[in-house]
Amino acid sequence: MTHRGQGFPLFVLTMTLAASWSCNSGDGGGDDGSGVEHDLEKLRSVLETNADIAFAAYSDSVTTAQRLEEAINTFVDEPTEANFTAAKQAWLVAREPYGQTEVYRFRASPIDDTNYDASDGEDGPEGDINAWPLGEGLIDYVVTGTDFGDDQVNVTEHQTGVSDPIPDNNIINSTDITIDEALISNTATADDEHDVIAGYHAIEFLLWGQDLNADGSADTLDSRDSTAGQRPVTDFALDDTCTSGPTENGDPELCVRRGQYLQVAVAKLIADLTSVRDGWDQGADYRTAFTTVDDVDAAKAKLLEILVGMGTLYEGELAGERMQIALSANSQEDEHSCFADNTHRDIWLNAEGISNAYRGEYAGYDSTLDGSDDQTGSAVSGYGIDDYLTDLGLTELESAVSAALDMTETNYMAIDAGARGSNPVDVVIMDAAGDAAGPMRDTIVSLNAQSTQIANIAIELDVGTAEDVVIPDASECDTTNPTAEC
Amino acid sequence: MHRRWVAPVAFCVVALGACGSSRDERRDEARDDVPSPAVSSTRPGGDTSVALGPNPSLVRPAANLDDDAKARFYAGKALATQPWVRAPTLTDARDGLGPVYNARSCLACHIKGGRGQAASPTGSPTGSPTGSPKDQPLLASLVRLSRPGRGPNGGPIPDPVYGTQLQPQSTSLSHQLRGRPGADAYKDQGPPPEGEAFIRWTSAPFTYPDGQTVELRSPTLEIRNLGYGPLHPDTRMGVRHAPSMAGMGLLELVDQADIDRNADPEDRDHDGISGRVNMVWDPESQTQRPGRFGLKANQPSVRVQVAAALLGDMGISSPVFPQQPCTPQQSRCLQAPTGNDANGHEISEDLLQLMVFFTMSIAVPERRKPTHPMVVRGGALFDDAGCADCHVPHYVTGSDPAYPHLSNQEIWPYTDLLLHDMGAGLADGREDHLASGSEWRTSPLWSAGLARAMHDQVGLLHDGRARTIEEAILWHDGEARASRDRFSVLAVDDRRSIVAFVRSL
Repeated sequence: MTHRGQGFPLFVLTMTLAASWSCNSGDGGGDDGSGVEHDLEKLRSVLETNADIAFAAYSDSVTTAQRLEEAINTFVDEPTEANFTAAKQAWLVAREPYGQTEVYRFRASPIDDTNYDASDGEDGPEGDINAWPLGEGLIDYVVTGTDFGDDQVNVTEHQTGVSDPIPDNNIINSTDITIDEALISNTATADDEHDVIAGYHAIEFLLWGQDLNADGSADTLDSRDSTAGQRPVTDFALDDTCTSGPTENGDPELCVRRGQYLQVAVAKLIADLTSVRDGWDQGADYRTAFTTVDDVDAAKAKLLEILVGMGTLYEGELAGERMQIALSANSQEDEHSCFADNTHRDIWLNAEGISNAYRGEYAGYDSTLDGSDDQTGSAVSGYGIDDYLTDLGLTELESAVSAALDMTETNYMAIDAGARGSNPVDVVIMDAAGDAAGPMRDTIVSLNAQSTQIANIAIELDVGTAEDVVIPDASECDTTNPTAEC
Repeated sequence: MHRRWVAPVAFCVVALGACGSSRDERRDEARDDVPSPAVSSTRPGGDTSVALGPNPSLVRPAANLDDDAKARFYAGKALATQPWVRAPTLTDARDGLGPVYNARSCLACHIKGGRGQAASPTGSPTGSPTGSPKDQPLLASLVRLSRPGRGPNGGPIPDPVYGTQLQPQSTSLSHQLRGRPGADAYKDQGPPPEGEAFIRWTSAPFTYPDGQTVELRSPTLEIRNLGYGPLHPDTRMGVRHAPSMAGMGLLELVDQADIDRNADPEDRDHDGISGRVNMVWDPESQTQRPGRFGLKANQPSVRVQVAAALLGDMGISSPVFPQQPCTPQQSRCLQAPTGNDANGHEISEDLLQLMVFFTMSIAVPERRKPTHPMVVRGGALFDDAGCADCHVPHYVTGSDPAYPHLSNQEIWPYTDLLLHDMGAGLADGREDHLASGSEWRTSPLWSAGLARAMHDQVGLLHDGRARTIEEAILWHDGEARASRDRFSVLAVDDRRSIVAFVRSL
């Protein structure tokens, strides 16, 4: 989740993690101030395992996106209720491996950056894969919901004679616009962010529609129910029964366009995910650069990248920008998967991804949506950060981190259990202080506690780097050439 | 300005007590001692200061935020980071972009919380009327508009059709999908953008007395494709480049008396430096108050600054500014759906407070290389050249129960928050409350050296014209002319040292 705007990566280092760097001299070496005797071979194992899990989880993401494409193609050709349900099911399954990959964000890895260099801005495909909030009104019809006043007070008296009807202009309705990959590619224009109209959530919106109440009512601020989006299957009908929600179109053109949009969006999703997966494949440039370390210092720098991704996702991104804002704003749009009501899985899977990174384990994904990972063909059981801590004798730290992970797991499982009952996240956040929101609050607290433990790993292993990695020494200024920047 | 002792920050000895001696004494001490940088001065934001880390950012939470406050910080950050979307959408917490706007989110222009991206030479028009593929309109900076004189509350008189700011984007489908096949067919639907601004850079050499030259560039604006008819013939324009957001909360907590003390509007001490407090309209208290934020000190508080940016830059109405960014003449703008909630606001009071809390609580990074000999030497030269007369180094913040982490902090922002006439070269003739067309607020220098670490197309000064700190210094004129001249006669190593010192802040 989160959008990718031009040039402003969401590198939010956790405050505590950042604080740890200042404690370190960054002198490196096998035996340094921390008293830890690093082991280059074992550090290499940590990096290899981390890369193995990335490749496995992105591979499963590609596979499940391909299954989603098959289901969408079947549905578009034959828009029956059964095929509609199957397509939605395939979307939910596709989220299962992808959610576990988000721990690879925030570290200039292939998802965020194609040249693995954050300093020139991020240009990776994340913004086209999982960006949010969706510009749903730009894609298809929307119901105004609790938005008041389509027209502003006093407009009529300020009319200057030009009377334009308020157009219901969106891509589906505007039939002169060609629906193709170029249309939905975020990278087409360099200088501006665009409304998000590609990726998982665009597909989600086209499959589910807005998350109205079961009776079709749009007042979702005070009386949200536990149903997800209610898009009728007739929105894809290939004959004159084609609808746009409550509106009967009379001819199938708009429904055909919706089908096209789904197919274009899923094809692009597969292409984007494939490019990320390939960056982690054996022999790929990124993987080679990440796993080839000649000395302990280089290995520590790579380990720091892992920790930065984990810590950033923990505190700033998941606990703060994904959960706290939804809770404090009672903002349904701040739910990650707001159309499908699948946000409980997003939280679980993001947190699980962090745990995977720490433990060096990837269990596969859940294709039956019952909460357990049954697809284990790509599973990885490798040498984790936990193993390294244990081998270094840092068992106390290892136990503390594990305990924090376990606490988070308990808490996000409670969110999941609630959502599988009658308390999806959008219902829970209506009363941030209420009992039902308890697991949300607990998870935020435990994620923040975990970030402290991640910072402790950075401190204990002395992987912090000094700020002069990015800020050149003042003495590097060319004092003979005043126009040269230093 | 009132000549006073200026804390040569790099020399101020560690203990607070050492700074408590008489001013003259301390000045002498500072001159005599071999300097070692004060502990406090390595942490410009006091206890809020954070280490820079491997991925520099100017949107980190203050180091001394507790867990609960940190959660609020990140919630506010989400609102500042994630793009607003076109109304209507299902719920109202996220929609309301535009109908005309400059950017979708705060951080689109304040990149990583830092300064905006300067218009690149290749992205500027070459003068060809039809434009070229490289001819990109200005989006990262904005263009202010106004007519001469002062409006009802002392503020600028807006262009009658376009208001006080050119919004080059709109929520219309044809604009959102511009460049895509078929999008032009819908040009007559929805609100058009107000127009496109292009910058053409003109370079002229500055020659130091020692013969070295530096190319200084200045912008010429060109407006094309106006969406709502011509501009008023008297309308003046000025480019405004997004400044860094870090440390604004600490500046808000500086006592006004500490700012007033440095003001000398009539230049009674005849040092050629006046220093004036802008008095600006506060829409909340409905009174004139001292301005502190904005490039011309035209906003009275972080809250009003944030709300003004929400309205002007993103088209988001709020409890502070409940209107849309449309003038009465822009009917197609006024007719577009709003994202208003039941209270008539696109951002609610609760969420506005989160954004303000986030903005107030951004950490100022620790200094880099404060003990490097070149930096230490540059600090002394900075003071000798009189830079610190306006770039006032040090304050102690007041206290605010809502912001305990910002209260009673020793801070080192290097600004007097006052208006100074910076000469004709930087002037654009736009008045803003008491600020004349050539007066600008002294920019804080903390984090100035990090501009390039946020993104590589750095732009300094109010319109992003300066590509380096050195260029920014050389643009100083008017009241700052004497300091600029003292800088320019220094040996090249000394000039570099001053730049190194500023970069270290």
